[in-house]
Amino acid sequence: MAELIKVIINGQDFQVEKGARLIDACRENGYSIASFCYYADLALQASCRMCLVRIEKMPKLQTSCTITCTDGMVVTTESEEIEKARRGMVEFLLANHPLDCPVCDRGGECELQEMVFDWGDLEERFTERKNYAPEKFLSPVVANDSQRCILCKRCTRVCDEWMGEDAIEAGGRGAHTVIGTYGGWLNCSQCGNCIEVCPTGTLLDATYRHQTRPWELSRTTSTCSFCSDGCQLSVGSRRGEVMRVVARDRYVNGHNGEFLCIKGRFAHPFVNHEERLRTPLVRYKKGGRLVPTTWEEAVRFAAQKLQEVKDAHGGSAIGVVGSPRLTNESNWALLRFARDVLGTDKYTASEAFSLAPFFENLSAPLATHKDIRHAKTIVLIGGEPEELQPLTGKQVRQAVRNGGAKLVIFNSVPIRLKEQAAQFVHIRPGSEDAVVLALASPGDAEVAASKLGVEADEIGKASQIISETAGDVVLMFGGELSAEAQSVVAQLPAAFGEKEGRRFLLHPLPLFNNSVGVHDLGLMNGALNPLEILDAAGSEVRALYVAGGFLPAHLEGREGALSRLDFLAVQELFLTETAEAADVIFPAASFAETDGTFTNSDGLVQRVRQSIPPVHQSKPDWAITSQLASALGTDLGFQMSSSNIFLDIAHGVPAYEGLRYPLLKDESKPVQVKHALAGRRDVTAQLAELRRALESLDENAEKITETPPVGHELFKLGVLTSKVPQFHLLAAGNPEPESVLVSPLYQITLDPGLRREAAAGD
Amino acid sequence: MFIGAIGCEPLQLRRVSLERSRTLDVYRRNGGYEALRKVLDGMSPDDVIGEVKKSALRGRGGAGFPTGMKWSFVPKDSPKARYVVCNADESEPGTFKDRYLMERDPHLLIEGMLIAGYALGARVNYIYTRGEYRYLIEIMDEALEEARTAGLLGDRVLGTDFNCEIYTHTGAGAYICGEETALLNSLEGLRGHPRMKPPFPAVAGLYGCPTVVNNVETLTAVPDIIKMGGDAYKALGTEKSGGTKLWSVSGHVARPGVYELPMGYDDMEKFIMEDCQGITNGRQLKAVIPGGSSVYIMPAEDIIGRDVRMDYEGLVAAGSMVGSGGFIVLDDTVDVFESTKNLTEFYKHESCGWCTPCREGTDWLVKVFKRIESGGGRPDDAQLLLDIVDNIEGKSFCPLGDAAAWPIQSAIKKFPEDFRRHISNGASGDGGKEGLPTA
Ligand SMILES: Cc1cc2nc3c(=O)[nH]c(=O)nc-3n(C[C@H](O)[C@H](O)[C@H](O)COP(=O)(O)O)c2cc1C
Ligand code: SF4
Ligand code: SF4
Ligand code: FES
Repeated sequence: MAELIKVIINGQDFQVEKGARLIDACRENGYSIASFCYYADLALQASCRMCLVRIEKMPKLQTSCTITCTDGMVVTTESEEIEKARRGMVEFLLANHPLDCPVCDRGGECELQEMVFDWGDLEERFTERKNYAPEKFLSPVVANDSQRCILCKRCTRVCDEWMGEDAIEAGGRGAHTVIGTYGGWLNCSQCGNCIEVCPTGTLLDATYRHQTRPWELSRTTSTCSFCSDGCQLSVGSRRGEVMRVVARDRYVNGHNGEFLCIKGRFAHPFVNHEERLRTPLVRYKKGGRLVPTTWEEAVRFAAQKLQEVKDAHGGSAIGVVGSPRLTNESNWALLRFARDVLGTDKYTASEAFSLAPFFENLSAPLATHKDIRHAKTIVLIGGEPEELQPLTGKQVRQAVRNGGAKLVIFNSVPIRLKEQAAQFVHIRPGSEDAVVLALASPGDAEVAASKLGVEADEIGKASQIISETAGDVVLMFGGELSAEAQSVVAQLPAAFGEKEGRRFLLHPLPLFNNSVGVHDLGLMNGALNPLEILDAAGSEVRALYVAGGFLPAHLEGREGALSRLDFLAVQELFLTETAEAADVIFPAASFAETDGTFTNSDGLVQRVRQSIPPVHQSKPDWAITSQLASALGTDLGFQMSSSNIFLDIAHGVPAYEGLRYPLLKDESKPVQVKHALAGRRDVTAQLAELRRALESLDENAEKITETPPVGHELFKLGVLTSKVPQFHLLAAGNPEPESVLVSPLYQITLDPGLRREAAAGD
Repeated sequence: MFIGAIGCEPLQLRRVSLERSRTLDVYRRNGGYEALRKVLDGMSPDDVIGEVKKSALRGRGGAGFPTGMKWSFVPKDSPKARYVVCNADESEPGTFKDRYLMERDPHLLIEGMLIAGYALGARVNYIYTRGEYRYLIEIMDEALEEARTAGLLGDRVLGTDFNCEIYTHTGAGAYICGEETALLNSLEGLRGHPRMKPPFPAVAGLYGCPTVVNNVETLTAVPDIIKMGGDAYKALGTEKSGGTKLWSVSGHVARPGVYELPMGYDDMEKFIMEDCQGITNGRQLKAVIPGGSSVYIMPAEDIIGRDVRMDYEGLVAAGSMVGSGGFIVLDDTVDVFESTKNLTEFYKHESCGWCTPCREGTDWLVKVFKRIESGGGRPDDAQLLLDIVDNIEGKSFCPLGDAAAWPIQSAIKKFPEDFRRHISNGASGDGGKEGLPTA
């Protein structure tokens, strides 16, 4: 516990932690202090001058955001002098402000408006001509009305400090300063965090412009359905339509703060997209057409077909495939369906890689994103979090830039995050496993180094950084690692041994919002993995029941697999490649239309909440499974309630024991599941396998020298992102339109061929 | 135009009128680099700082901070590099002394910087000049090369194991880049915004390392302090303001120029009327802005017969400041409303835009001035100007806000008639064309 000191605020004594910032100390003790530019965990700015207070023995009013409390400090936060200063500042801020709140998207949730309610004057003394600057687009997703800017520079700081992009900066000088871009067009990861943190209507969500007013929106706190970071967000909807997604802290307070990435923030239009499946579809005859039908009929038909296969070949001839995109509840329903209704062990999830070897050998707790931010050393083997897990990328960046952490990167690609690295070890493509071997077994380091194509002492240097760390060491790894390497990574802390004051934490980098969830539930422990299931289609596997689609990577080279099945039932949002091959398609509800939970890469189980009624005739995946089970004569006992399923999970999965929805209510206090720690395991077999694999590595393989362009993963057109026109512009290289005054969507026509292209990991 | 000393032997201006004064040869024949030799021959860095402290030299850049004290703030045990940066931005309106020093006696600056570098343990020093002084960079670079060739600069200065290099760098034309921390940002290639203080540059300056920023005139005073000793230098001036000071005299005087006066020169009236040979065309003195544009304007009645001593304390007592010593003389044809508007336009143009009060306040002030000028004055406009100024003063991020505020405060107070006349020109008191709000 930190040392306490005394400060006297407005005549009252308070104990505050030594080193506390005055503005925080005042606020925590009930004195409100106005501020714009102060933003926790960003570099101090001290430019808005709203937070002025009087401190005894100091000549002028002082900005409380820059003052560190000292023992015995005497502070006044409320006086005539301070009120005049504050009102003066608000008056200045409004001088050149267009006062166009009635047409501003931010109106109603604008910090400047609120400040004016508190500290503005009725009479406007500024009667001069206002400075003018045109509204414009900075990118397909970011619009800008610089006249409303108060130059608090939160936007430029998040762009630089959070994102490492430095894509927006102030230009011009004095009253003509405007926030803008280098070269006039925003070429960055398009996270829109600048929009989020902007207290005014200056930076705007270009996809939501002039669509609704904030007070017309119903707001639902939920969890993002894209990557494994599990950002908390607020879904704004109106009359059954998702209008926008934000992370503004007035609505939601998750572990991501106000951070979101482009997908979380801008990809939501897939929810109400016109191509969503509207009704159940049935193909009565192989080779026939899919025809719309009723739920009753579709369920009846599917049940009948599954029963036929079961009767003919046994339940184990039917495969069940869940998805790391779906909630724990829906995946659990599928698992129960497989076990209790079909009695098959051929269940899996359409996941890119299994984390089972990692979790089996887990010898240290999972690092939360908060842990990452405060880590002292971060080791990243493979992966590209800035594209695939953007919040993790941000936490790493901040740990280094704001927290002085040391980052060690082993990667075959010079990823952008290497800018922050204390050590970047540039390895040959495909040699990630060798890194793990070298770290776990110093005796192999020399041979490994030559295969990796790095200097012999580079591994030693990295090991030394880890060894010398006081504080947390976070070990992160991407999907490149083999099963053996995953096991060894999970045991790496043991290889380094115990040291006073040092703690190891592990952080896998899976690709999907519920990758860890599908693992935890055991859905990945079936007899076959997704590839094997496809390979067995038509032989061992006669029928498949798939929720969500196979990944394009699964289907690649296995195009005919699905058509070899006797029967395929698919529940999906869209007519995907998997769905097109189906005999029955059930329209499923998206994350915005269901209740449930996702488990993120930290092991945090977070709530997904229904914000709009299911679109068209769609139903939550678990409800469909439940109905199908009933039609096959088994009541899964869920009573059509997701919280009952979660209760069932809590009873069935040890790591989730004791958890209930009410315990997950508060997104600001996320709950981490209790993954069992394995203790020290013998991994000699795995090491031997890694050694064997090492030998076959090509010592002359070319290194990849080019840093991949920003967005090469983020902007990829997947099943969901391809439904958002802005993503097509970005995927096509984010061309600058002829005029930045008109939406790029109206100016640039893309090659229609691009619309059909879909990729993994959307 | 006059360049020389009045009331004392020329010190910093000793060589400026000599033929080929900027060459190493002339500099050396006139006592150049003797101070450096003396320092390297047996003074410790602390001895040097001690002499500078004794000299009561105060920073000539405008703030008048005691130089020896600033030097002693540099942490002795920091493992980081240290830097000496010469502030040659000389952007304060009415100030043009640094430029003559560099143009005519560049080696004096080099010697001063070498001594400072020695005292502070800096191995790399920078001279940062305003963008408009590009021609001075050429002169400085030439002199630096001469010094380098002569073994006075670079590795093993004068054969000792003291290594010290000096580089030149120009800004791109922003007044704010004369402010020391904005200067450091600019030197690092960042936007010219001031930085938060603390930490002060002496602790964390250029690239986060301990850095002393001194004005050209400050650094060029150092060789003489070393040569004659701090006490002797101080004795040229007064107890609190040691040595001599350069005044850049401009405006309506018969003989403008750069004047070197002993600190405490007695008195301002004599200086204007005799030394500067009085007001041009026999007109009357109306006002003086004695320390560059950022100080209070002094009306003639605060000067004539008032025995104003020309040093830091004397000018404060007389209601203004030494500032940068940019001495602007205004005769009775000057309309102080117009001259103040002109200055305010300067501050508006130069406000870096970082902080609210200065950015928005100066913009608003100019708009009010313009409205009044074009006949849109309203009865309470003087009050409005004062209130805007009050909302800037003491609340801005850096002193530029105050600098914009003070001239207006003093002008309205001392010359209310000039303002009243313009304001009452307003048609009906409800604002002219300029006054109409537009969306
Ligand atoms: C707006 C502003 C402009 C300034 N311009 C200059 C300048 O042009 N030259 C200068 O030497 N100091 C200037 N200063 C003062 C410097 O910040 C700093 O105090 C000075 O360089 C320190 O050197 P000294 O101690 O030798 O005076 C300026 C200060 C402010 C606030
Ligand atoms: S655009 Fe918004 S966040 Fe950026 S400086 Fe302006 S008001 Fe602040
Ligand atoms: S007072 Fe503020 S706006 Fe003005 S120059 Fe200083 S920092 Fe910039
Ligand atoms: S909050 Fe302190 S100056 Fe902006």
